[in-house]
Amino acid sequence: MPELLAVSALGLMLSLFLGLLRVLRGPVAGDRLLAMQLIGSTGVGLLLLLSLLLDQTALIDVALVLALLAAVAAAAFTGQELETRDD
Amino acid sequence: MTAMLVLDILLVLSLLSLATAALATNDARRSVILFMAFGLVLALAWGRLLAPDVALAEAAIGAGLSGALLLTAVRDQAHRALRSSRKPVHERGRANLRVTLEWTVTLLCIALAGLLAWALAQAFDRAPKDTLAQAVSANLAISGVSNPVTAVLLNFRAYDTLLELAVLLTAALGIFALGPARPGHRAAGPVFDGLARWLVPALILTAGYLLWVGAHAPGGAFQAGATLAAAAVVLRLAGRRSVGLPTGHTLHVAMVAGVSMFLAVGLGLLVLGRPFLGYPPAWAGGLILLIETAAMLAIAATLVLAFFGGRPTPAPGVAEKTS
Repeated sequence: MPELLAVSALGLMLSLFLGLLRVLRGPVAGDRLLAMQLIGSTGVGLLLLLSLLLDQTALIDVALVLALLAAVAAAAFTGQELETRDD
Repeated sequence: MTAMLVLDILLVLSLLSLATAALATNDARRSVILFMAFGLVLALAWGRLLAPDVALAEAAIGAGLSGALLLTAVRDQAHRALRSSRKPVHERGRANLRVTLEWTVTLLCIALAGLLAWALAQAFDRAPKDTLAQAVSANLAISGVSNPVTAVLLNFRAYDTLLELAVLLTAALGIFALGPARPGHRAAGPVFDGLARWLVPALILTAGYLLWVGAHAPGGAFQAGATLAAAAVVLRLAGRRSVGLPTGHTLHVAMVAGVSMFLAVGLGLLVLGRPFLGYPPAWAGGLILLIETAAMLAIAATLVLAFFGGRPTPAPGVAEKTS
């Protein structure tokens, strides 16, 4: 079972790494932000797997906070777009 | 396990490439987004390193809140540059100053990095004794909490935390000196409004949970305060002018809540004949929760003030009731 978890965690990490390439390359700020949201979701999954693998229940709380606060980052980005559109 | 080794290598590669990219770009907004992604991956790395307390703080502050603050700062700067672009004054002198400033900062950073490397080398040379960690776990039973990090922050080294809260209070006073707050944001569209309605209660609930759980697991006033402030930031971004941040005297009370509760407890114990902030073991848990609750309010108020970027003003034309 730990092997299965570790391989799943590695799979998520690979997906996160691929998403990261989009964050690094862009080209538009929106691309980077969307890719960041993707790696945020992947990160939540990865933290949940790590909490089982490393036997650290506190990592579930970290995943919860990360899921909530990643949405705040997206909100900050879009809120700004709303305001600067025509002023 | 090979899988975990590959995972660790990928984590390190991600961190290094994000940090390099964030520093290498000239576009401030791109730099902020890359920095937010860096904070996100850093939270994962702390989790992998079995440091859930740091991971929690990084997830709350690094990945979320500071991103929102920095994005607002970048937008402000862009507006100001647009306004001042019409009158170029002393352009050459300013460019020279800029180069000098950049080099000074670079050299200072190199010096600081050298100092840190030297300190780290010194620390590695010493035999690992872990006397502090042993002292903490030996005295955990009388600290009133079972989470060693909270025990250190709020009991054994409570004085440090008191001074940290004083630093935050100074920052809040500095924000007041910046003048009136930025104008608010436009009313949100239906999608964002729906998100805010779902997100804000979840954030407030999580803040309460983190405050409570801090006694026996990673959590505490700083993470809870950041989560609470995030709820206010979302409301502000969604176009609400008053976001639950009080005005006038109530705001002043919220700002000094952390420091004054700490001092009240400390001085009260002095009167009762105990050392300053030396809680009696029987009361320690309750006193720590009391201080942490006040500290959470002060931290949240300060962070929201930072997002406002100045002294909050009542709505012009009083179209909306602020209470």
